[in-house]
Amino acid sequence: MVHNLLFYTNYQMKTKILTFLFIAVAMSVFAATEFSCQGQSDPWTPQQLLAPADIAKVLNDPNSPQPIVYCIGMQAIVKGSIDIGPAMKEENLNKLKQKLINLPKKSQIVVYCGCCPFSRCPNVRPAMELLKSMQFTNYKLLNLPQNIKVDWIDKGYPMSE
Amino acid sequence: MRIFALAFALLLLGGSTYTLTAQPTGLERGNMAPEIKLPSLKGDTIALSALKGKFVLIDFWGTWCAPCVEEQSELARLYKKYKQTSFTNGTGFEIYGVAMEAKKPNWEIFVAKNNISWIQVSDLKFWRSPVAKTYNIQELPFNVLIDGKGVIVAKNLHGPDLEKEIGRYLRK
Repeated sequence: MVHNLLFYTNYQMKTKILTFLFIAVAMSVFAATEFSCQGQSDPWTPQQLLAPADIAKVLNDPNSPQPIVYCIGMQAIVKGSIDIGPAMKEENLNKLKQKLINLPKKSQIVVYCGCCPFSRCPNVRPAMELLKSMQFTNYKLLNLPQNIKVDWIDKGYPMSE
Repeated sequence: MRIFALAFALLLLGGSTYTLTAQPTGLERGNMAPEIKLPSLKGDTIALSALKGKFVLIDFWGTWCAPCVEEQSELARLYKKYKQTSFTNGTGFEIYGVAMEAKKPNWEIFVAKNNISWIQVSDLKFWRSPVAKTYNIQELPFNVLIDGKGVIVAKNLHGPDLEKEIGRYLRK
């Protein structure tokens, strides 16, 4: 009877430890995946995200050195930006490549899409990867975390005609 | 003189009754949905108000918006199921699809390829469309359900929640 009780207690302990280990491993895997989705897999660093208010200030100041701004989304909305078309399409990515090919590597370049949040945007990643592969050193992604309406138009930042 | 006084009183009465019954235009449940008048794929202008009498889902979407594209098959199912249905405040179900597109070809190809048979309109102004401002759209997909009088009964419902809401207004 005592032997049975000891065996049962031992069994309970083992089950608890195994359950605990399983939950711990599952949580680590989940956390690692989340981290990878949010940061590691994005081809840009937090320093490469350009605040809309900062570039709006530059675009509104004709005496300020102007960056070259490419729209790699559906429609050029930012004032003075060059419409490339959605970078998810190979023909548009090639178009961007042709625009970039003769530029000095230190050129100040900004790209943006703004269709939807970065996590769902099919255009920002191919464009940023292209800039990286072409070894540009001063390129940024316009930080439009929700979309260009909420983060640019609604804020009254300068728009193309 | 008496006739004028009577007419004036009637006018006042009519005015106050109208004030009591008319819904204000707005974006809240119980408000009259703001008017939309946009060109269809054929180029003719279709007004939302022309659908008065029907139960209408205003679907704001775009071919570039993955969740919107995913939702179209569900909308096709609802359209087929409820098109001829009688509601407590409207007869027949219509979808008024507002495509937040920048260029016509993408939209045209998608609609043809997916046999979308409900109303499709767009001003091809993408996020700059005045409708996005009027309806205070923050992201896509976004939708508004209106009854036969054009009054908003629900906003931004998707999947089973949308059908459940439509079901609440079926005439029994």
